Amino acid sequence: MYLHEFEYYAPMTAEEAFGLIGRLGSNAKVLAGGTDLLLMMKEKMLTPQYLIDINGVPEFQGISYEPAKGTVIGAATKIAEIEHSSLIKEKYFALHQAAGELGSVQVRSMATIGGNSCHASPAAETTTPLVALGAKVLLASDAGERELPLEDFILGNRKTALGEKELVSRFILPEPAPRSASCYGHIGLRNAMEIDAVNMAVNLVLEVSGRKIKELKLVMGSVAPKPLVSLEVPAILVGHELSDDLVEKAALAACGEAKPISDIRASAEYRREMVYVLARRLLYQAFNAAQEV
Amino acid sequence: MKLIQLDINNQVYEIPVNPRDLLVDVIRKKVGLTGTKKGCGQGDCGACTVLINGVPVLSCITLAISCLGKKISTIEGMADEQGNLHPIQQAFVDHGAVQCGFCTPGMILSAKALLDQNPLPSVLEIKRSISGNICRCTGYKKIVEAISAAAKEISTGEVK
Repeated sequence: MYLHEFEYYAPMTAEEAFGLIGRLGSNAKVLAGGTDLLLMMKEKMLTPQYLIDINGVPEFQGISYEPAKGTVIGAATKIAEIEHSSLIKEKYFALHQAAGELGSVQVRSMATIGGNSCHASPAAETTTPLVALGAKVLLASDAGERELPLEDFILGNRKTALGEKELVSRFILPEPAPRSASCYGHIGLRNAMEIDAVNMAVNLVLEVSGRKIKELKLVMGSVAPKPLVSLEVPAILVGHELSDDLVEKAALAACGEAKPISDIRASAEYRREMVYVLARRLLYQAFNAAQEV
Repeated sequence: MKLIQLDINNQVYEIPVNPRDLLVDVIRKKVGLTGTKKGCGQGDCGACTVLINGVPVLSCITLAISCLGKKISTIEGMADEQGNLHPIQQAFVDHGAVQCGFCTPGMILSAKALLDQNPLPSVLEIKRSISGNICRCTGYKKIVEAISAAAKEISTGEVK
């Protein structure tokens, strides 16, 4: 379990980091938390010649909020910082919940939000709520910046739209709509240090009347190669008040959309069933929470 | 090889490291502090937990070279200069929370990180704080009791 030989760079500014990535390109990997990258290097799944440690770059750190604009989270921000941020808890509750469920205390204090998206594991915790909350990623390089919705950035199992000279520098979360609420749920085999068999996030906005659903995003994780945004659930629920019948119909529709596989953590059949369970649970939770906003 | 300075338990060591050297190996083999244990080597078991700037991290998936300028604390830094055990260590002894002992250094450092932030945690908070430390002897009950007792001991000590 030793690592191969590589060269190590620790840039202190974003420009330095972009310069290194521009020069070293696909021979380099960006080291953020290392909780996935170093494991893959130990297994010799990845053998980069260069590591670029971006933890010393202040521009990639921290959470900042601008009223009416939204929240910017630096890509190298630790999951623990997101878990403990009162701003994230208040405005993006689903992300707060998911951050608190990722790995262990140690993993959360090392792992970063950018790493969780760039690793693009289908079972990632934070990508599901981030997609539900409408997060965008900022991809930066020497040549400039471009912005992508996270759901378009993640292309599949460990595949992203990241160019070889780019890195993810920031996440941008829109200001939550009035009368909205989000929540996250997961099913795993044990309560701690587990990898989700299924996870889900719901982000729901109510109309001014406070009863009918104006907008809704339901995203499923670990049941497809990438976060799966439900098309049918909003079609069933938007414009209506939540009722037991509609929740039942929506949960069954989500089940039908999921494309789970059987693996070491759960069978496809069980995963599909859990999509139903989580959809019901989270739709009620989000609806009730939005009414209390 | 590059000569770097690592601050471990408030002592600065000058150590030649290769970028690929993991912190756990440097601490154990180059510095010679073998209290930090290497278990799974994959960041799952928590035996290699050390504190970096007070935060618990997994030294088996941390590059030593990335720790320049940071304060590393290991189990050897817990007792005071006279060799008196830290209250958390003493509580582990008193409550029979040490069985084979392999998880103990990591458990104690996770507990210290918790109590430094949250001096009187609930049982649930204690369990969450050690959820990344696996005890194959399954002595969790006594470990939780020991941390709980240490929290009370430290808090009342501070009141005096």
